[in-house]
Amino acid sequence: MNILREIQPSSKPVKRAYVALMLWFVGRAIEAAARVDGAVKAEFDGLSPGFTFSLGVMPQGPMMIVGKDDQGLVRYLGWNPEGQKIDLKMKVKNLEGAILMFTFQESTALATARNRLIVDGEVPAACAIVRVLDIVEVYLLPKLIAKLAVKRYPDWSFGEKIWNRVRIYAGAVLGL
Amino acid sequence: MDLPGYYEYYCGVKIIAGHDALEKIPGLLQDLHASRPMIVTDKGVAGAGLVDIVLGAVKDQLTIGAVSDDVPPDSDLRVVNRLAALYREQGCDALIAVGGGSVMDTAKGINIVVSEDADDLMKFSGAGALKRPLKPLVAVPTTAGTGSEVTLVAVVKDHERHLKMAFVSYFLLPDVSILDSRMTLSLPAAITAATGMDAMTHAVEAYYGLSKNPLSDATALAAIRLISGNLVEVTRNPADREARLAMANAAALAGMAFSNSMVGMVHTLGHATGSVCGVPHGACMAILLPYGLEYNRHKREAVMGELLFPMGGSDVFARTPKEQRVDRVIAYIRQMNQDLHDASGGRHARFFKEVLDREGKRAVARERLPDIARTALGDGSIFYNPEDLDYDDFLMVLEAAWEGVALDPDRIRK
Amino acid sequence: MFQPQSAYAFYSPTKVLSGNKALENLPVELDGMNAVKPLILTTPVLSARGMEKVMESAFGDSNLTIGVFAGVPSQPDLRLIRELYGLYRDNGYDAIIALGGGPVMDTAKALNVAVSGRPEDLESLADRNPLTKKLRPLAAILNLDLSGCEMTRYASLGSLSLTSPALIPDLMIIDSRTVPAEEHKTMAATALMSMTQAVEACLHPARNPLTDAYAYGAARFIMENITNVLKNPSERKGRLALANAAFFAQTSFDNLAPGMVYELGMAISRSCQTNPGLIMGLLLPHFLLLEMRKEIATRNDLYLFIGGPEAFAGTMAEASSRKAVDRIVEILLELQSLVVDFPRSIRDLGIKKEDLEGLIVQGSAAGVRGEYDPQDIRNILEKAWETRF
Ligand SMILES: [Fe+2]
Repeated sequence: MNILREIQPSSKPVKRAYVALMLWFVGRAIEAAARVDGAVKAEFDGLSPGFTFSLGVMPQGPMMIVGKDDQGLVRYLGWNPEGQKIDLKMKVKNLEGAILMFTFQESTALATARNRLIVDGEVPAACAIVRVLDIVEVYLLPKLIAKLAVKRYPDWSFGEKIWNRVRIYAGAVLGL
Repeated sequence: MDLPGYYEYYCGVKIIAGHDALEKIPGLLQDLHASRPMIVTDKGVAGAGLVDIVLGAVKDQLTIGAVSDDVPPDSDLRVVNRLAALYREQGCDALIAVGGGSVMDTAKGINIVVSEDADDLMKFSGAGALKRPLKPLVAVPTTAGTGSEVTLVAVVKDHERHLKMAFVSYFLLPDVSILDSRMTLSLPAAITAATGMDAMTHAVEAYYGLSKNPLSDATALAAIRLISGNLVEVTRNPADREARLAMANAAALAGMAFSNSMVGMVHTLGHATGSVCGVPHGACMAILLPYGLEYNRHKREAVMGELLFPMGGSDVFARTPKEQRVDRVIAYIRQMNQDLHDASGGRHARFFKEVLDREGKRAVARERLPDIARTALGDGSIFYNPEDLDYDDFLMVLEAAWEGVALDPDRIRK
Repeated sequence: MFQPQSAYAFYSPTKVLSGNKALENLPVELDGMNAVKPLILTTPVLSARGMEKVMESAFGDSNLTIGVFAGVPSQPDLRLIRELYGLYRDNGYDAIIALGGGPVMDTAKALNVAVSGRPEDLESLADRNPLTKKLRPLAAILNLDLSGCEMTRYASLGSLSLTSPALIPDLMIIDSRTVPAEEHKTMAATALMSMTQAVEACLHPARNPLTDAYAYGAARFIMENITNVLKNPSERKGRLALANAAFFAQTSFDNLAPGMVYELGMAISRSCQTNPGLIMGLLLPHFLLLEMRKEIATRNDLYLFIGGPEAFAGTMAEASSRKAVDRIVEILLELQSLVVDFPRSIRDLGIKKEDLEGLIVQGSAAGVRGEYDPQDIRNILEKAWETRF
């Protein structure tokens, strides 16, 4: 019993894959939302040209990168940060924290309040991106879940946003 | 007492309080293996004779390597670099920061430069950039309000490149904070009132904020109790040493609470008003605090009601039915502002249209409110506010705070 | 409450992480302290209860290597420290994680002194020479089987007793997976130890706003949770609250000189091998009744700590300290009904009447630093010996 054991704790491939999938989905949904939702577009318009941000998990991924291209269009830029100039890095401190977020047990606001994220970059830009994430969440999630995910559920009328929701889903899944 | 599903708390600053706490500095520095500190301060503090008091308290047992009162009202990168050079030339091995927020920021900046041998401070901004303890830093606050003697942030402005560098690290926390009544004894009434309300805001926002936790709760309650019992008193009677010490304690306690639980919309709007119109931070806090309570009330009714105990005391708390407690809390803050207004000969402003600049002109023009609301959208403190605010919400609150009228509950979107 | 004393010092260098997935934050926290290879110390019992697995999973996906030594005995000694010193050095560890209370923490603190300098530093520290170096990172993972000193500047190792603020852990983790339900008696003892530390902090002549704040948090959590946890040990949140309370109580205790009940409880515990927390629980009501009779001004707000703001505000000032004592006795009786073979008096512990004389001498001499009247100590001990709760 009195011996020392050295352990190389294993990775968690299933959880990693799930988070990677969710990040991919959210990244593409942001790209789509910036095309169809005025508020999301306005938030990105307020950011500097070429602005790029990443959302990922420490210590090494998964990750998603979204940025504005030369025309000011918002693009999902994949998962690999290599060779990209990233202005704002949002890093979840560990995989379990990301699981809490992406299984919607903890909202972005709660995760921030619980210090689950490290934000590296300009604060105004971080504020804008969190607002974007909130809007995208409202589009992607059923109302019951989204109500827990954001502080205040917007009073969107049903007809007004349903078409946007379809287009964002189509964009995220099919890349349309 | 509530235990949140998850929380973090840290304040590794050693607190030394008392009417003669300054005299303990030599021994404290010795424990930190330092013997030749540099004193950093500003002209106002030095002019008020406070540095002389510090020197008088320590000079028999300590060699002071250098004293500089060059810190500008707004921290500045060039000053940081110049003072760091002075520190090195004089072979100093510790820093004593005597002053308010800007002095603390500057001292923390100097500490990064001299500890990390940094030629470019920018390299050390951002999360996790500092990885090891810096040189010993002793904080001697000369106002009772900001709490920067127990916070881990430093903001240094690069006025040439128009950059604002923010440093956040546990290693920026002072090793020791000295709460000595002599340091605030000569503070003018209006500044006493405004800085005291800043501390009150830290405690109240920490108590109802999203990151509240048992330790931020306990320190916030203690701070509120002390401020409620002493701030109006000490504004009326500035020479009251006991009340001065109580306020110094309160500011540090509130600082611990908010640096762990963070602040909310009162600070969001206060920072924005400060940067757009140059209104002093404490004045903004005093004016906006009732609105933070009103706006978030529907999300935090029970928690806000608990504040009546440290504010009003046992009897008032027991006599007030639960559903009326938040009303009493809000009324209490407004009454405090009124009392401070009276005690300061009208210099403590109760609403924005009453705030005057140095020339005696109105500092916040009504037309600037939209600018302030827009600026507020980029302030990180909003994350920790219980309810969301967009541009329209910010503007609504600002308009009410400008006039000095209560928020219309029907206009608060829930 | 919270009245400022004219002068005080307060220091708590520990970062607290408490709650859901707290353990998973260990890698990031270690990184912030420049550590990448921690050595986890624990006991064979805790290891057998699956704690090693929990740690392995918490470090999953972190790319870090961890060492686990699950052989900390109930009476660690210098030989063990030397052995661990070798293991720590040879395998390149750079931080210690103490998983468990009492002996595990004592071992961790002592080992940290050794690995941050030389093993000889331990004897030097025991001879009251101050430490001259900052120690390596030390994290504590608390459960509900505690000695009362885990988060303080104190450690003991056989005959060596070590005291230095540098020993206080840098990090404390409270996570439901590592705060399992313990035996009823153990949880009751831990809670009563915290209770004693909090109450004595609140009555301490040198109390200050910060010791008050910590003692307040401790007392509130204990009063609100202790009976619930014993009735329903699977209640996770209650267990976490009690572990938090232990930290708060120890921190206020650490910033004041130990009180009379604490010192007497420790002294009695040494002579009868019973958990000191239980003994302190038996002494506390008698101590409070005595204090009440002495009309000490500070006791007036004890009921705020014990009963909470609502109950305190609804009670007449004159009745308030009486209520506090009643409430504490009530809790004690409840615990006695919930815990099998809870002693009813210190006589039940096998203490003979003539043993009291020795304890009185001990208590009034070194133990309580001569602050207390031997007559008071006699009074309390005799009451606690005669009266059965
Ligand atoms: Fe503030």
